[in-house]
Amino acid sequence: MKKILNRTEDYVMEMLEGLCAAHPAYFKRSGAQGRVLVRPEAPIAGKVGIVTGGGSGHLPIFTGYLGPGLLDACAIGEVFASPGVEPMAEAIRAANSGAGVLRLYGNYGGDIMNFDMAGETVEFEDIRTTTVLVADDVASASLAEREKRRGVAGMVYCFKIAGAKAATMASLEEVTAVAQKAADNCHTVGVALTPCTVPTAGRPTFTIGETEMEIGMGIHGEPGVRRGPLRPADEITEEMLKLLLADVPLNSGDRVSVLVNSLGATPLEELYICYRYVARVLSALGVNIVAPLIGRYATSMEMTGMSLTFCKLDAELEALLLAPCDCPFLRV
Amino acid sequence: MTTMLTSNSIRWAIGSLKEKMDGAASELNELDGALGDGDLGVTLSQGFRHLQEDAPNLPDDVGMALLKCAQAFTRVTASTYGTLLATGMMAAAKATRGRNAVPWTEIPQLLSAALKAMSDRGKGQLGDKTVLDALDAVRMATEGLDEPAAQVKASIHAVDQTMADFRGHPFRRGRARIFGDKGLELDDPGMLALKRIIESLV
Repeated sequence: MKKILNRTEDYVMEMLEGLCAAHPAYFKRSGAQGRVLVRPEAPIAGKVGIVTGGGSGHLPIFTGYLGPGLLDACAIGEVFASPGVEPMAEAIRAANSGAGVLRLYGNYGGDIMNFDMAGETVEFEDIRTTTVLVADDVASASLAEREKRRGVAGMVYCFKIAGAKAATMASLEEVTAVAQKAADNCHTVGVALTPCTVPTAGRPTFTIGETEMEIGMGIHGEPGVRRGPLRPADEITEEMLKLLLADVPLNSGDRVSVLVNSLGATPLEELYICYRYVARVLSALGVNIVAPLIGRYATSMEMTGMSLTFCKLDAELEALLLAPCDCPFLRV
Repeated sequence: MTTMLTSNSIRWAIGSLKEKMDGAASELNELDGALGDGDLGVTLSQGFRHLQEDAPNLPDDVGMALLKCAQAFTRVTASTYGTLLATGMMAAAKATRGRNAVPWTEIPQLLSAALKAMSDRGKGQLGDKTVLDALDAVRMATEGLDEPAAQVKASIHAVDQTMADFRGHPFRRGRARIFGDKGLELDDPGMLALKRIIESLV
């Protein structure tokens, strides 16, 4: 293992300390074990709170997206491990102004179990909560079994859109409904070239040949749909586009936002090479791309690879996507 | 013992569990180690240690006291059994919230609420050879009894009977199911844990 760290058991806590030291205007440490980050101004009177949570190792997901027009609080687990029930309940309390709290996170069994328990706990304190699960990874299950799909980079759109809706002082029901619509409209596919190493494990999460790639691999190294020789950028992008377009057919005049996301190690240069191909294909279809995002938004530590996300827009989603927001990793 | 379930009864049970569960931890770890990750005894000891810390401050409201107990187990991380126990206690907490005394005859109803919540959360069914089967047997055994000592006695018998009934049956849930035929004669560690818990309430 070749990583810049101190003791592996301090990895997450030291990362949180650094985040708060660098961005005190956005992140405040909270919770009995210090496993919750909160916007310093939360809870905001009258506003629906939005919380998320999940394992570390994916920055800026999850905790990076706290700020105006985005999320209010986040519970943080160890690398690739769900946070416990307590930090999740603490995050909900910290985000609650009395208007209710939306739990918005990726579709993973451990996170669901713990967030449900946290929701039951705060029910005793008369805090109203709702849940929207992001399940956008098209390679993890068929469209017919959408509820089994994992949540990946599409979470960024859901955070942005739900956060913008909550900033309008909409009700818990309204924020939940639009978050669900955003989640339903997000479709992602990834490709991995190299694995990553969880610090406490000390060895790579999977093995892959020097000249191989795997289409559809999940952000924790979950198996994808096809492994084969590494192809040129345009061919990889073409294969990913085919998978996405089979899931969400796009027609002339449709409006869509596109996220080309690095899984960690892949440089911006390569993301732009792929974006160029996506833009050509969508342009030929007569599809309009709105506010594309290219960069490191949802990572898997130092994994080499990228993901491609479509967020299909209607007028409501587009307005919310373009509304102002501010955090260290996303500004509109 | 009082004639109703109160916060005091819960406090008494926590004290009794402390005395008797420590010895059971290694036995449970061993059985669990043969089938799963071997952390069942540790989960329970940690959970009961948290319970001891909370016991002096349990509120009189039975529901809120049960919620505190559930939270003691949610503080034990990364254990399915701990999460399931907490889920069951929380369901019972919901059903008793706002009451300072609950008739013992309501125990089967509370177990029924707990079973439903645990089954929903863990996606387990009756017949899977898990703690759910033993709890269901306890639910039936306590039906119609209005006195805790009689309920405990009937419950121990019911769990024993369930464990015996399931010998020769495969595990259908959790990591244990990969053992196939080798698991037939082994007891479910979760059922044994429940038996030890109830025994400590004699």
